[in-house]
Amino acid sequence: MMLSMAQHAAKTIGHGPLWLQRLASLKVTLLLLLLLVTGVTAYYFNGRQGQLLLATPLLLLTVNLLAAIVVHPRFRHHPPLLVFHLALLALLGLVTIGRLTYLEGQVEVTSGGAFPGTLHHNNAGPLHDWRLGQVQFRLEQFSIDYDIGGNRGKTRCLVHWLDEEGRRRQGTVGDHHPLVLHGYRFYTTHNKGFAADFLWHPESGEAEQGTVHFPAYPGHKHRQAMEWQPPGYNERLWTQLDFDETIIDPEEPSQFRPPREHHLIVRYGEHRHELRPGERLALPGGTLEYRGLTTWMGFKVRSDWTMPWLLAAVLVAVLSLGWHYWRKFASKPWLEEESN
Amino acid sequence: MERELLLLWIAIGTYVLCGTIAIFAVILGKRPERTVLGLLVVGLLLHGGSILLRWLRLDHGPYLTMFEILSSNVFSLLLFYAIAYWRYRPIRPTAAIIMPLMFVMMAWLVLSSPGEGHLPPTYDTTWLVIHILFGKVFLGSVLVAVGMAGIIMLRHFNIATEKLARLPENHRLDDLAYRFMALGLIFDTLMLIAGAIWAQDAWGRYWAWDPLETWSFLTWLTMAIALHLRVTYRPLPLRGAVMVMTVFVLAFLTFFGVPFISTAPHQGAV
Repeated sequence: MMLSMAQHAAKTIGHGPLWLQRLASLKVTLLLLLLLVTGVTAYYFNGRQGQLLLATPLLLLTVNLLAAIVVHPRFRHHPPLLVFHLALLALLGLVTIGRLTYLEGQVEVTSGGAFPGTLHHNNAGPLHDWRLGQVQFRLEQFSIDYDIGGNRGKTRCLVHWLDEEGRRRQGTVGDHHPLVLHGYRFYTTHNKGFAADFLWHPESGEAEQGTVHFPAYPGHKHRQAMEWQPPGYNERLWTQLDFDETIIDPEEPSQFRPPREHHLIVRYGEHRHELRPGERLALPGGTLEYRGLTTWMGFKVRSDWTMPWLLAAVLVAVLSLGWHYWRKFASKPWLEEESN
Repeated sequence: MERELLLLWIAIGTYVLCGTIAIFAVILGKRPERTVLGLLVVGLLLHGGSILLRWLRLDHGPYLTMFEILSSNVFSLLLFYAIAYWRYRPIRPTAAIIMPLMFVMMAWLVLSSPGEGHLPPTYDTTWLVIHILFGKVFLGSVLVAVGMAGIIMLRHFNIATEKLARLPENHRLDDLAYRFMALGLIFDTLMLIAGAIWAQDAWGRYWAWDPLETWSFLTWLTMAIALHLRVTYRPLPLRGAVMVMTVFVLAFLTFFGVPFISTAPHQGAV
């Protein structure tokens, strides 16, 4: 039989005013856990939109948990249970702080080029202290293995960077090994492609170097074209990379690399030109020099200083839960009770 | 490959024989417990040999294709159950509940293609192995609890009540099921932690609400609710049994159902 309401009330009453005891009720905890299940389900089926669906029950559970720790004597009599619930509180607090201060984004870096210091796309918490300007690294080159069947293998990026003391360092980053600088973690992704290296010579002034990143390869192998605007030039140019070579052969192991022979098709207005490495194209206002083809790598960038603390909190939670159950069950071994 | 499959088929044959004896033992009121345990151990040794041969041949663990995932789960669940069977004598007749469940997984395994999968670089990490091992202990714990819950439910519906009379009282079964559920919660939590560490290294995020993560978290929450309900209301054994079954169904669907609907890189089976 379930406990009657009176029995239940007598069992759960602890210290503090009545409103606090009601707030600390285990029945409220159960209702809020069910609300969280509903919130998570709704969030999932809503295409992961509407963070309030998660935040509301979590906030209410935090209040309920705080009240329970204050009110229920059970927590004072069972230290592991207290530690477990305090760790849960710490976890909820850290997740909140993490959402306020995090940053995640993507950036494409050209082989032989430096990290531009800005991200192409990003999401950041309102309290993120932007330190990306301090990050300096250069992607020298990268290699990606492909297995038979065109399955992607290991990614290795040779990187030079300045550490936090300003010393020059070198290393290889790739799968499971991000580049960590000033609290930002740069992860290689499957996103990579070819990049055309140009030099724009204006009619007056210094030449400017720039690269055009073609869409990711081999994901968009049949759409290797990009529209862009050279600095100081009024019109947009349409550029297409053209080559016949098979780069990733599904019949044998291979590596991602630029094609040995290729040319660019450049269109502006009604004009169409083909450019090979070293060739120049005269345009109104300047000359475009095509220097050659290289590659680009897409990095995922993440900053969240709460991560090691989250791990610590969750480990404390699970260890204290294990400790609690161990004490509880070891005091009354089931087999011994059964044999009695 | 032929040797691996041969060992696997013999192991499955041994499991089926073991399960059939366990079911008829309950129906006929016999206690061939040593035979059942012996057959279970022989099946596990053969099955373990098959998994090991495949691991050595492919140079990765059994966690890529549905065939590998089913095979390793049949092995780990039966290994966990065999330990419980050996350690907790009074609940040995629960084999009549557990083995038919395992037969379903074995039938699915037999129908799966034993072809090879490609090991993505994101799967080439020790954290994935740790994550999977914790998950297997979690599911094994819940499976043992399901054995007790099944007996409680059969008794409630007056099915084979006399045959199940030699098992402990319902409240004792319920207590043991609770202990295995508590163990399951701890290992489910550890599985989520190890998975988050793996996801952080592999995809640069420790949690992204992908289908497998979301359904794993819902399973964890359901388990937490089940254990909280127990502390708050001390429900009847039947209600405890229903909660155990609910957690098992949710965990089973998460492990083996979500991979079919997920397009995220964290798929379970790829």
